[in-house]
Formats: sequence, structure tokens, C-alpha cells
Amino acid sequence: MKRYDLIVVGAGPAGLSAAIEGAKRGLKTVIFDENEKPGGQLFKQIHKFFGSKEHRAKIRGFKIGEELLAEAAGLGVEVVLNAAVIGLYQEKEVVVRIGEAVRHYKGDAVIVATGATENAVYFEGWDLPGVIGAGAAQTMMNLHGVRPGEKVLMLGAGNVGLVVSFQLLQAGCEVVAVADAASAVGGYGVHAAKVARTGVSFYLSHTIIKAEGGDRVNAVTIAEVDERFQFIPGTEKRFEVDTVCLAVGLSPMCQLLKMAGCRVLEIPAKGGQVPLVGTRGETSADGIFAAGDVSGIEEASSAMIEGRIAGIAAAEYLGYAVNAELEAAIAENEAALSELRQGMFAPGRRGDMVEFTDEGIHVSVSLLKKGYVNDEEIARFTSASETPGFRPIIECTQNIPCNPCRDVCPRNCIKVESITALPRLNEYNACSGCGLCVASCPGQAIFLVNGDVGGGFANVTLPYEFLPLPKEGDRGVALGRDGQVVCEAWVSKAQISSAFDKTNLLTIKVPAEMAGKARFFKSKGAV
Amino acid sequence: MGAVERILEREFVPADDDGVVVCRCEEITKGEIRRAVHDGIFTMTEMRRYLRAGMGLCQGQTCAKNVKALMARELGVPPLELEHATARSPMRPVEMYVLANEEVAD
Amino acid sequence: MEKRIGEHPILGKPQKGKLVTFTFDGAAAQGYEGEPISAALAAAGVSVHRYTAKAHKPRGIFCAIGRCTDCVMVVDGEVNVRACVTPLRAGMDVKTQRGVSAV
Repeated sequence: MKRYDLIVVGAGPAGLSAAIEGAKRGLKTVIFDENEKPGGQLFKQIHKFFGSKEHRAKIRGFKIGEELLAEAAGLGVEVVLNAAVIGLYQEKEVVVRIGEAVRHYKGDAVIVATGATENAVYFEGWDLPGVIGAGAAQTMMNLHGVRPGEKVLMLGAGNVGLVVSFQLLQAGCEVVAVADAASAVGGYGVHAAKVARTGVSFYLSHTIIKAEGGDRVNAVTIAEVDERFQFIPGTEKRFEVDTVCLAVGLSPMCQLLKMAGCRVLEIPAKGGQVPLVGTRGETSADGIFAAGDVSGIEEASSAMIEGRIAGIAAAEYLGYAVNAELEAAIAENEAALSELRQGMFAPGRRGDMVEFTDEGIHVSVSLLKKGYVNDEEIARFTSASETPGFRPIIECTQNIPCNPCRDVCPRNCIKVESITALPRLNEYNACSGCGLCVASCPGQAIFLVNGDVGGGFANVTLPYEFLPLPKEGDRGVALGRDGQVVCEAWVSKAQISSAFDKTNLLTIKVPAEMAGKARFFKSKGAV
Repeated sequence: MGAVERILEREFVPADDDGVVVCRCEEITKGEIRRAVHDGIFTMTEMRRYLRAGMGLCQGQTCAKNVKALMARELGVPPLELEHATARSPMRPVEMYVLANEEVAD
Repeated sequence: MEKRIGEHPILGKPQKGKLVTFTFDGAAAQGYEGEPISAALAAAGVSVHRYTAKAHKPRGIFCAIGRCTDCVMVVDGEVNVRACVTPLRAGMDVKTQRGVSAV
């Protein structure tokens, strides 16, 4: 039986981070992963992460995956792929299926970072081809370059449903609607807003009644539900689609820990059955740790930090870490983790109806019901400027731990006082119009407005992550936050820069009175 | 008599969507699962043996949560009160010839 | 609509292996070596991977990561092969699975 100091199960964000910290402290470390490629779900996450510098904010998930893999390889971590761990026993014996054989390993410490599995809902026709998990859509388009379908209905307005809806649009699919049985958008408002402004309709308090089709789904019917989630006859809406995506939550995959005798608890707020863990990921079984979604569903940013903490804790358990160094490293990671767990979407507040921001501003009801902040509500969050020249308009309306906008501004125009505070403008510093804040905002919630460019027109600079990128001189229409046409628009500039990292900046010219409304552009082709 | 036992005295009431498949692998419908509860199947582990719901190729990874919620609703208890099925090796489907091919030395 | 993404706004042009020929239900088909069989089939417009044993209902990709086992097919004579995690190789014989066999 081959022995390792540390065996990690799962090469996703948590597992890789754990292995890195273990290997850094001299542990002979191996990671087993059942997939053909490492990285877990990171390589499907093509959006920029939220958080601050310590959380690798504004870096796209797949780039973070590449960084972690390189770091692990540099430290000599052995990553064994196509290796499904089929058993974990109390004595930290790990049984792995590799190729056509079953092999046994022993770890002096074991870290389980198996992540989560997608939940499903059943309805008539949910087993038809074309009804797929949101993760499946992500895998097909972002890993394999194949569109899952042409016309898609998304069930689920949590972060997964919203992020995947946007990715479907980026892949060139049409999203006919986002529906959710909940009465409010559960994911970040900014994720909803960037989908809504392209013209996608949101149906909250709606669920799928049935999917129809022969060898593939060709239509789906949704209907409104009452507060007891019973559908209301007469409210049915039918859409012709070739794809239905299910994004109805994730469940931790803790079976290995359970099998090893770790105490597990059913905690709905964490997504289901989770191991009982201490602050350092230690389970009730000696030398077995858990990190990432397996111990409670959160964002990948949190999983990476939990992984690091568990890796350091495993080193301590095996006597490899010098105490002072260990305490400092753990303290640093715990501080970073606690930052991520603040704000309106903090794990402890899941499901709460938040009425006011930390600043005391009434939250946008329209954002929660329709996916966008309406024109009347937006005035609570932004203010019109009388001063000429560029000005960032920050439509960040929820307390999310995130601050890249502040860090990238070369003129310190943006203040984010605590990490979850809504950004505010520093009125004394003049904006140069560089656009770095627009490109770096992971929620794509910042716009630059130059209220007077002559002739009664204004310029609006918006983030644009679609192809083809409109060209200077292109004519089209500006869409409002609600995705409806507000006016004619002309492209005055399209900027691509490595500093923007694929978030291109599109500057459109619109009638000055529309500068507060125009938030997206649809091309009608060049004039 | 607890809530769970009382189910045996309640009659099975058919529902419109009883024909919807819940366990995709073994093609077990909502109606079959509900009826099984009235037949006296009160735990997930029993349900796996009785109907094979959650015993197919995917080993219940897709349906377990839904089967549990459905059973709990039929029993009239919160889902938290129902035990999950036992977690045991192999965690992933493994062909018998692979299971038999143990490499002890490495 | 072309199923393959030619150029993606964030990911650029998909990195693919070489174009190879395989057979799907006896007919010649093409895909890129190393991509999952299911990706090649999806790109070719194939949605049905199998028909179920009891109700003979069509099934296709559901989770795309090897968990749900709904996409299983008969590959080179072997049944229950998960098409979403099995890399495509030149000359593979891929068949729609009916129940637990190819016929």
C-alpha cells in the first residue's frame, strides 16, 4: 500500500489550495480526481471573481485554475486524474479506481474536497433530451466549445442560474426567460442586471409545469406559483425552446466522509448533509479534514481559502508546521474568509429578505422581482452630476464583499469604505475616463457617462463581453436596464485592452437626456 | 402512534403527476414512490431495496434529495427527520472485473 | 445554427485535437479527438443517446460531467459507457443504447 503524508480527494479550488499549503510545508502530497482534467468547476467559470485582491478579485475563474495548477505543480504535488475515490475508511485508507484496477493508499492525513452536485427538480418531460443541468450547459460551451442549444429557458435565478444565463448569451444562444419559484432573485443583483439589460425576461414566483417534445424538448410551459408553491391555473406561459437549463441549487457531496465515520449533520442553509467541522476543517474523525463546498455551499473564492486553512491544519496535525508561522498563516486566511462571508449574501443570512442596504438605502424591489433596478429606484443609488466631463456611474446596489473598482482607479475617485460598502464617488477627484473601473467590476455595474459631448448628446461607456464587438460608427439602439429600447445610439468608440481582460469598453452616443437610461447596445450594423 | 405509523391508515390518493419519473436511472415514478410509502416503506434505505429508486447506475446522485422530500411529504414529517441512505463503497459505479482487479503493491 | 462556437468573447477559439472520423449508428461522423463523445454528437445535432429499458424514452446529456449516467451509449461494443466523459478517438464505434444493449 502506497503511503502519503497527505491525500487530497478532489482537484477543484479547495483541493488544489489544500494540497498547495500542505506541500509548501513539506508534506508528500497527492490529489485524486475522478475527472480527466483538474480544476473542478473553475475552468467553466469565465466571469471575473468578486472580492478583493486577497481573494483574487477581478480575475476570471479559469485563470485562477491555471494559477493554482501551476503553483501545485511547482511544489511537487502529484495530481492523479481519472482516479475515482470509491472508498474512504476510518484509518485513512483511500481506495481508488484508476484505469481498470482498484488501488489502496494510506494517508497520514486526508482532506476531502469533493465539492457539490447539482440538485434537480422533476416535472412532466424533465427527462427529455435538451433538459439539462446548468452545469452541463457550462461544461458544453465553456470547456468543449459546443452550444447546448439555440433557445434556452433557465430555471433558477440564484448565482448559478444568472451566471450561466449570461454565459449562454456570450456563447451566442438566446435565453428566452429566467424563471424561479422563489419570489425574489436569489443571486447577486448585478448578475441579474447584466442579463436583464440584454432583453431577457425574468419570471419570479414561477415554476415549470411541463416540457414537451419528441426526441428533444421543443417547448416548455411555466406558471405562477402562490406562496405555498402551488401553481395558479390560468397563469401558464409557453415558450418554444430547444433547451431547458436547471439551476436549482447544489448539494454537498459528503458521502465519503460519512462512510469514513465522520459525523454529518443535515443543515439546509449549507445545502444539505455536511460534515461537522471545526474552524480549520477538521472533522470528527482523527486526521480527516473537509474543505470547500463539501462542508457547505459557498463561492469558489471561499472554497480556496477553506482549502488553504485545511492544508495548513493538516500540516500542523502531522507536526510539519512551526507554530508561529502556522498561526499567522491561519489568521491571515481566516480574516480573508470572514471578509467574504459578510454582506447581504453572507452564509448566515441566506434566504433572508433584506429591505435596506447597510447604508440605510431601501433595496430595489424591481431588481429582486424583474432582475433590474428601475429608473425611479436607481436615483437612490446614483446621482446626476452637473460637472462636465466623464463620471463613473456605479449601479452597485447590494452589499457584496467586493472592491476592485476602488483599487484600480488611478485617481482615487472611488471609495469603498468597508469591503461590503456600496462604492461612493470622491467628488474632489476628477475622473480621467480611463475606464478601468468599468472593466474591472465583476458585476459589470459601472458605466462612464460624459453628459455633454455637444449637440445635445452624451457619451455612455459600458462593459461589453460579446462578439462581434461593434465598431466605431456602428448605428443601433440603446437598451435600458430593463432590456427595452430607449433610443437610437451610435458607437463612438470600442476599446480593447489587455488591462481590461476581455471586458471591452463600448462608448455609445445617445441623446443627453437618455444618458441615465442607456445601459446596453444592440447593433443595427455599420452605417 | 407516530406520524409515520399513521400513514398506513391513510388511503393513497392518486395525483395528476404520479406518472412523472423521479428516479431517472430506474424509471421510478412519483406515484410508485408515494404508493410505496403507503405500503410501509418509511426509510430511504428500504426504498432503495423495495423499488430500486436510487439504486441505478448513478447511485441516487440525481434523485436522492427529491425521493427524500417526496417520502417526507407523504409521511407528513419534515425531510430533516428522514435518514439518508447509507454511504458505502463503491462511491462510483465500478465494473465487477475492475473491483476484482485489486493492485495491492504499488 | 452552427453548434460549435467559432470564437468566444472570453475564451477565444476553442482548442481542439485533430478532426477524426468515427461511426455513429453505422454512419460516418466527425468530431475532434479527445473531446467527449457527447460533444461531438451535440455538435452534429444528435440529442438522443439512448432509449430507456422500461418506457423506451429518449435520454441525452443531463449533467455532462459523468455523474448522472443518463448519456450512456454503446461504445466499441461495451454498454453503459458515459459519453460525456469518454474521449473521442478515431474509428470509435458509437451506438445508441436501447435498454442495456445496442439492439
